[in-house]
Amino acid sequence: MITLSSYLMISLALFLSGLVVMIARKNIIAILLGIELILNSAALNFAAYTRFVNQNIEGHIVSLFIIVIAAAEAAVGLGIVIRFFQMRESIHIDDAAQLQS
Amino acid sequence: MDYTIWTIAPIVLLPFFAFVINAFIVKKFTKLAVAISCAAILGSFGFATRIFSDFVFGKYAEDYHIHKVFNWFDLSYGSQIFKLDMGIYIDNMSAVMLFMVTGVASLIHIFSTYYMAEDKRFGRFFVYMSLFTSAMLGLVLSDNLLSVFIFWELMGFCSYSLIGFYYEKEGAGNASMKAFMTTRVGDVFFLLGILAIWSVVGNVTFVDIYRAISDGSFNSLYALGIPLATFAGFSIFMGTIGKSAQFPLQVWLPDAMFGPTPCSALIHAATMVAAGVYLSLRMYPLMEIGHLTTMIAYIGGITAFGAATIALVQTDIKAVLAYSTISQLGYMVLGVGVGSYNAAFMHLITHAVFKACLFLSAGSVIHSLHDHHTHEHVQEMPRMGGLRHKMPFTFWAMMFCTLAIAGVPFFSGFVSKDRILGDALLMALANKTYIVPMVLGFGGALLTAFYMFRMMFLTFFGEPRDKDLYDHTKKEKFSLNRNFPLLLLSVFTLGVFFSGSLTGQGFIKVASEKRYEWFKVLITKPKVEKFASYERQPWGHTDIKSNFQLSEAKYDYNYGLSAKEAHHIHHWHLIGALISIFIAFSGIFIAYMMYIKKAWNPGWWVSMFTRWYRALQNRYYFDDFYIGGLIKKGLLPFNNLLAFIDMGLYDRYAIDGWEKVNRAFYTVSGWFDNIFVDTIAVDGTGASVRLFNVVLRMIQSGKIQLYFMIIVFTLVGFIWTL
Repeated sequence: MITLSSYLMISLALFLSGLVVMIARKNIIAILLGIELILNSAALNFAAYTRFVNQNIEGHIVSLFIIVIAAAEAAVGLGIVIRFFQMRESIHIDDAAQLQS
Repeated sequence: MDYTIWTIAPIVLLPFFAFVINAFIVKKFTKLAVAISCAAILGSFGFATRIFSDFVFGKYAEDYHIHKVFNWFDLSYGSQIFKLDMGIYIDNMSAVMLFMVTGVASLIHIFSTYYMAEDKRFGRFFVYMSLFTSAMLGLVLSDNLLSVFIFWELMGFCSYSLIGFYYEKEGAGNASMKAFMTTRVGDVFFLLGILAIWSVVGNVTFVDIYRAISDGSFNSLYALGIPLATFAGFSIFMGTIGKSAQFPLQVWLPDAMFGPTPCSALIHAATMVAAGVYLSLRMYPLMEIGHLTTMIAYIGGITAFGAATIALVQTDIKAVLAYSTISQLGYMVLGVGVGSYNAAFMHLITHAVFKACLFLSAGSVIHSLHDHHTHEHVQEMPRMGGLRHKMPFTFWAMMFCTLAIAGVPFFSGFVSKDRILGDALLMALANKTYIVPMVLGFGGALLTAFYMFRMMFLTFFGEPRDKDLYDHTKKEKFSLNRNFPLLLLSVFTLGVFFSGSLTGQGFIKVASEKRYEWFKVLITKPKVEKFASYERQPWGHTDIKSNFQLSEAKYDYNYGLSAKEAHHIHHWHLIGALISIFIAFSGIFIAYMMYIKKAWNPGWWVSMFTRWYRALQNRYYFDDFYIGGLIKKGLLPFNNLLAFIDMGLYDRYAIDGWEKVNRAFYTVSGWFDNIFVDTIAVDGTGASVRLFNVVLRMIQSGKIQLYFMIIVFTLVGFIWTL
């Protein structure tokens, strides 16, 4: 039997692994991937709660929005990373410690 | 006949603008600058002639004067009136004076174009001459004592620059300094007198002073226990003593001959020394109510006689003339002292004419005599002699002037000097205290005739004593700028231009005699009562003569006295005239016997009166007394005392002692400053800020993952505490 708590556990695992990736990895692209994981855990939470608690489709719609936003965010983030790489020839996060070039 | 400001002011402004323009262009356009100066003074001569002819040849009017004023500044506050008017005041006396000054100055300017032409500072000389002349004209036109003082000082400056004109020469700089400092002594008193008058009258205009005198404002006012009128009059007369080189302060004038000769002519004749006498004539009513006339007569008499004695032994031709100037100024002051106002002024005018001519002639002589060994001009009379063959025009001009100054009848000097001496004789008869000045005056006349003819005989007569110098001297050819001024001036030494009666005593009646005694008619003592209801005109006012209700001045044959008294006066004037004619001719005779016939040996006198001779050569030790006694013994120790008080006491104890106190204080306060303020307060603040800064810098590192960590730990901690 798949219950709400198993969804939440998966979601928690996703969130924590995203968080660890964001904090531990020095690669900016990896950090972006970590953000995707966190967003996905949030979307999974929405879907799980709307399936087991509300019994309607509003959570699903929010999940779809989150997927769209995640895609947009990934596009913007990768643009920034490309621009950063052009400037610094590096995608190491510690090279982005300064507010101006 | 109508006067606006634009027909009067140019008299002063033309030479002044010439000065201003020339000061800028003189280096590059010397010739043009000279031309501007001459043109300016001739222009102002034109304007002055107009005024002179209106006053003298027009209707004779005693009271006619032009007086225009404008408000210079007004500092009145409430009931405190403090305002100062400046203005132009022309009466008969100033009109005559203006004509004389501009005329004589014009001729001197013309002569200078000859005399100074080879000088390397040809142009600069004219710059100063223009300023000098304009200052004198301004003084004559002034209507109040303050502007008189301003122009007076301006003349002091110009005389300083002109006497020190040849500043390379040793002595010229000292002479200019001496002239400036000596006249300054008188000027300080003059300023004091102006202030004293201001304190009584509240104004320094001449007419207001006259009015105050007639009102009796000066009565029963005392300053330091002496009457204020006496104090003010004395102080102003001290100005005259300084400027006109009278007895105690005469030392500067003989040294003034270090300047170029035309400038000496200007100083001795038309401008500087005349200003002093002019001032004391203007302030005559004040001298009268201050009871100063006896003192003035004594000073005049002493100066007239003493300077004449010094002139006896001078060998420098200009020095003789310088001492004769002092002596003649003494006569003018004597005239003021004995109350012969008219004659004193007349002597001022006649003296200006013949002394200008004498100095210019001396300049002509000096300029011609050029020593080929030293390349200098010769001024010493022992090296001259027989020059009348070489310079006939100069000789005749100088001869006329010498006759005039010696007091030979039919010449101007006789007319004016004998009026003064006649009045002195009358005063001596009426009042015994005047006997001494009278005797000194007559004695001075004898000496004057003697030393002037001595000068003439030594210079122009006899055999040339320096043959080499004589042979190198060119024969004088008539040239316009050299001889014309001399001859024109010498014409005006004739007595007829000043008095119709030839003797100057008014004995000869001509059909309408007032025309022939224009000096006596026009120049009268200011009658102070007339100024009670006096009104002055504003600056832009046009004076039209017909607007004035004027009483025509009459030649009063009896001087306003009863017939008996007038007869008495005429009687004694005649006797005085006869005495002075006798004196003049005996002076000439002595000079003739000594220097032409050589019958009497002047050396005998020198050997008989050795000490006197030495005293005369040392100018009665006045210079020694002033420099050796007064300055070295009196002023210098006083100076040292003041220096000791200043340096030894004040500087040493007050200033240095205060320094020690300050040093102690600043050690304490410096320690406090270093320890408390700097170390603890200022550096402590900085250190605390730096401490926080280290912590904060650690947090704000820009490393994004650190921020994530902080956020996570914060959230975890937040959730944990829930």
